Amino acid sequence: MNMLRMNSVTKIYSGKKVLENLSLKIVKGERIVILGPSGCGKTTVLRLAAGFIEANGGSVFINEKLVSKNNRILIPPEQRNLGMVFQDLALWPHLSVYGNIAFGLKAKGVGKQEREERIQKTLILVGMDAFAKRKPAELSGGQQQRVALARALVMEPGLLLMDEPLSSLDLELNIRLRKEILRLQEKLGFTLLYVTHAREEAFGIASRIIILNKGQVAFDGTVEEAEKYLKR
Amino acid sequence: MQKRTILSLVVFLLFMIGLLPVLAMLIKSLSVDGHFSVEAYAGVLTSQRQWALMGNSLSLSVWVMFLTTVIGVPLGLLFGKTDFPLRRFFIFLFVIPLLIPPYITAVSWFDLLGREGFAAQFLGSSFAALSSRFLFGLPGCVAILFSVFLPIPILLTMVFLRTINPRLEEAGRLVSGWRGVLWEITIPLILPGIILSAILTFLLSFGEFSVPNFLRYSVFPVESFTQFSAFYNFKAATAAAVPLVLMALVILLSEAVFMRGEITQLRSSTETKNIPLIPLGAARNGLFGLVALLGFFIVIVPILVLLIQSANGQVYSEALRRAGDSLLRSLLYAVIGATFLTVLGFFTGYLIQTKTFRFWRAIDFTTIFLFALPGTVIGIGLIGLWNTVQTNFIYGTLWIIILGYLARYTALTSRITVTQLAQIPPAMEEAARVAGAGWFRRIIFIVIPMARRGLLAGWIVGYIFSLRDTAITMLVYPAGHDTLPVRIFTLMANGSAELIAALCVILILATLLPAGILWMMANPLLRKINR
Ligand SMILES: Nc1ncnc2c1ncn2[C@@H]1O[C@H](COP(=O)(O)OP(=O)(O)OP(=O)(O)O)[C@@H](O)[C@H]1O
Ligand SMILES: [Mg+2]
Repeated sequence: MNMLRMNSVTKIYSGKKVLENLSLKIVKGERIVILGPSGCGKTTVLRLAAGFIEANGGSVFINEKLVSKNNRILIPPEQRNLGMVFQDLALWPHLSVYGNIAFGLKAKGVGKQEREERIQKTLILVGMDAFAKRKPAELSGGQQQRVALARALVMEPGLLLMDEPLSSLDLELNIRLRKEILRLQEKLGFTLLYVTHAREEAFGIASRIIILNKGQVAFDGTVEEAEKYLKR
Repeated sequence: MQKRTILSLVVFLLFMIGLLPVLAMLIKSLSVDGHFSVEAYAGVLTSQRQWALMGNSLSLSVWVMFLTTVIGVPLGLLFGKTDFPLRRFFIFLFVIPLLIPPYITAVSWFDLLGREGFAAQFLGSSFAALSSRFLFGLPGCVAILFSVFLPIPILLTMVFLRTINPRLEEAGRLVSGWRGVLWEITIPLILPGIILSAILTFLLSFGEFSVPNFLRYSVFPVESFTQFSAFYNFKAATAAAVPLVLMALVILLSEAVFMRGEITQLRSSTETKNIPLIPLGAARNGLFGLVALLGFFIVIVPILVLLIQSANGQVYSEALRRAGDSLLRSLLYAVIGATFLTVLGFFTGYLIQTKTFRFWRAIDFTTIFLFALPGTVIGIGLIGLWNTVQTNFIYGTLWIIILGYLARYTALTSRITVTQLAQIPPAMEEAARVAGAGWFRRIIFIVIPMARRGLLAGWIVGYIFSLRDTAITMLVYPAGHDTLPVRIFTLMANGSAELIAALCVILILATLLPAGILWMMANPLLRKINR
């Protein structure tokens, strides 16, 4: 089953076509990495999937349900069952780690008892259970990443969007967290759409790679094929 | 070295112009014939009347603070965060009452609701008796100061909204509708702005004297003004002013302590595109109607009343005959004031933004404190300090008025500079420094050109606030130096309603026209150079 499907989507910013008739499909349980140079439209794809912006043409399906068509958003972000980890993480500075993770559950009306259980479970999952009371500013870069991940995962999203989540970390931490993401994906089984401009990172994470260039899909295939394609 | 010398000079000037008069006043009020004494305060603290005044002042400012916050913050969110139609127009509309002397709005409401006002003509004298009772007293003062200070929460909300990283709201939107995001994320993030706005509206209404004076509602600043101008009792005036100083000091200090650092972090989020706007959907038209209605009543009606009241060419020529000289002086002093305010505010803002001195916070605090002080207090302080034979070259000339403007309004131009400079990457100045440019060169060729939009905005704000000043000028102006707001205020005692209305219209035009024209002409020009 397709977790995300985009049908010839076009996005224009002030007269400039950022995406042009872009189509892609992501099957449930896949780990897709969108790879491409800066400014090629990677973030735009994620923002369209999340429903933060409307397209100028084309349609977007999530779980085979039409969520936006042409320039209309039919299903708002909070009803799309998505998780997202932003490049700058966007942890809420005024809330504790616990508060950051609890916000979504509260908004969805999850009862107090279940909420606490799920938060505790997720905190343990990402190894942050000792830090629940801290504010984001009191955490290291790697710890902040884990909280951002936990905030997304606690909602048990069908599709997790990640926008260059590791690009600000040093190589060692980058590799360690990559493994962590793989472990969590295997364990929880969510579908992953991961965006990066770093090949090494892409190869480490992906089960399939999509290369974006000038707003169009330039390549779509396995990691091995992608390596070959890029060597040409 | 150049840099520290100049900036030290700026600090010295700020101290001399702003702080010293207030300090001198405090000291003087505590001495009798050269000895320490609290005699002047004895009357203040013991008399029943003083406590009644305090009660009146507090009710007025608490009400205004409450209403402006409760209505202004949602308006700020509406204009800054949603697809509300004609946002720019409405912002401009709501700001107008803040730009003109507050008592002008009071005059207009008096022409409408007073015993001989339009209401009496159209709705009968029994209605007018009622509406006049409403106007002369707490409700009238609250309503007028509400319309005057409403733009403060609107603008501060909008400014603080721009400091939020848009991703923070989007992260919320993934799991919650806008309602939850607004309450749990957006509003907590702009809370320092809301608190600052509440404090400013509280202190500004506490210190406002022209409106309560006109509507005969006894509050502290009126008392201190009357003691001074009617009885020429400097000691009593000072003693009545000191509670105002303490009040401002305590409130601002606690704000500075509790909100430590949060306010000074005020800078636009680096990400300016992709700011999520709330679609109002079906509520759009209803909200539009409500806001339009509010704008109509608190801004358009008062202006219309003045226009109708003065709709007669002869009244205008009489107005110009009787106050033309004041008008010209007003324009001249406002231009001089704006220019000095821009320069002083630029260097003050620069030294705050670059943290040149370890006590940069204290400097920022001082300017805000002086802004929040009642104009009457600054006026009394200036008189106490400069009214000597040796300093008559200042006290007897227009410069005493300019000093008053500088003392009170530097916070505005300095804060504008800080916001503007925050958007210039420090690397710009550093690069010039590496290239061997001295500080003066860097300021003139790098910083000023990059900050020119802020400088222009600062100049316009300085012009408006100098022109609008009533309290300070009224106290300190030397004979033959009165400005238009002061002249109108004194003419009100015996001038006809038509004449006063015409003068008010002239003052409004003198404020809005030059500022508007300058902004419209200079802004596209600056933008062109920027490319
Ligand atoms: N709100 C906007 N207004 C105008 N142009 C925009 C806007 N958002 C994005 N763009 C432009 O669209 C293009 C694609 O942007 P996008 O952020 O999707 O690129 P990206 O592949 O994520 O780049 P990076 O790797 O640098 O994050 C860029 O040229 C960008 O400048
Ligand atoms: Mg991007």
